Amino acid sequence: MRTMHYTEDELILYYYGEHRRRVRVEQHLADCAPCRERYQGLAASLALVADPEIPERGDQYGLEVWQRIRHQLPEQEAPWWAVWTRPHRLALAGAAAALVLAAFIAGRTWPGGEAPVQPTVAVAPEPEIGADAGARVRLAAIGDHLEQSERVLLDFVNAYGTADQPADVSSQQLGAADLISANRLYRDASTAAGDETVAAVLDELERNLLEIVHGPATLTPKDLEQIRLRLDAAALLFRVRVLSEQMRERELDVPIARKTI
Amino acid sequence: MDASDAAAVLARAQQGDGEAFRVLMERHSRRAFQLAFRMTRNEQDAEDVVQESFLRAYRQLGRFESRANFATWLHRIVANCAVDVMRTRHAKQQRVSEPLDETAPLPAGAPDPQRLAESTEVRRRVDEALAGLSPLERAAFALRHHEGRSIEEIGRTLGLGTSASKHAVFRAVKKLRIALNRYA
Repeated sequence: MRTMHYTEDELILYYYGEHRRRVRVEQHLADCAPCRERYQGLAASLALVADPEIPERGDQYGLEVWQRIRHQLPEQEAPWWAVWTRPHRLALAGAAAALVLAAFIAGRTWPGGEAPVQPTVAVAPEPEIGADAGARVRLAAIGDHLEQSERVLLDFVNAYGTADQPADVSSQQLGAADLISANRLYRDASTAAGDETVAAVLDELERNLLEIVHGPATLTPKDLEQIRLRLDAAALLFRVRVLSEQMRERELDVPIARKTI
Repeated sequence: MDASDAAAVLARAQQGDGEAFRVLMERHSRRAFQLAFRMTRNEQDAEDVVQESFLRAYRQLGRFESRANFATWLHRIVANCAVDVMRTRHAKQQRVSEPLDETAPLPAGAPDPQRLAESTEVRRRVDEALAGLSPLERAAFALRHHEGRSIEEIGRTLGLGTSASKHAVFRAVKKLRIALNRYA
């Protein structure tokens, strides 16, 4: 009968107290000289990585940092619910409610099968939404989308597999699939707004998301390494992260001179 | 500062009270610097991380849920800022240091692990080895090894799934072992 030995990964988890079967591992290490030797080697290596000597920072440090940044404090982002308390949003919500009410009443008033000619309830005209507010909404949505995309890409490139047990990336594929239609929408919106830099990054992001979705659900270490190299060469993750931050800044400062990345 | 005072200060900061935010900074800055330094291992980078983190925190304070723990929330911001700074350096940096001679033995005659860890040569090797990790691997390793965070917490901090954060730590450890010439 083949003797079971623990892998390096399992010994790392055990070292950090995160192995679910700690007692079993302990017993095995007591009985198995090769595994014990491997574990001791691992522990000795990690013992060399001492906590770095952290430069001292005194009691006044917080105040010093405050003095450096106090004149750069950005505008605070409103809570998510506050977006709907802005005047034009309230008017829009009111108009939407009126339209729903009108449709309801029209449905009740007109006999079935006949299309209503004119609603009987006066509907407030849809208010004009300024270009600035529209840009802010677009930028916030794209910023959120880029953050989600970055998480999906990171989860994908950090998947782990061995030659015997390739990595299962099916959940990452589902995550990527969820993002594709939104990505297209934002890319088209960016193009329409003349934001070619953003559109270009979203375009490249979409290509990579599609490759994830249409690729195999299991990946060998060699496949994963090739994917990582390709993404590193394109610096896609870095560009997505930088662009996400820029969207946040631009949202707060609309309009703003466009930056290139 | 007790819990109710802290909550009151936070609430005022969320209303845009700069002085209240200053109080929060005084309370959390040193811890932020310690985390930033553990991750970047560079004093100037750590300072940049601390400043940028508090600017981000101030900007996003309106979205912070008061029920959550501010220190934990700030910790995530600092960790992610540190990753950003490391990525920027990683992308720009020309390696000017001499390549690590992995065949050279580590100092002998220092059986005490603590003394060995403290020796200059070992520290240099460790620093070189850490510089060879990707920013994400360095972040995950620093959070696990120096900060004692669980794999799950690391994932939440860095926006990774549990599997991804686990394997970032694994890769970091393996690369370190190779660089420290102890890989069996």
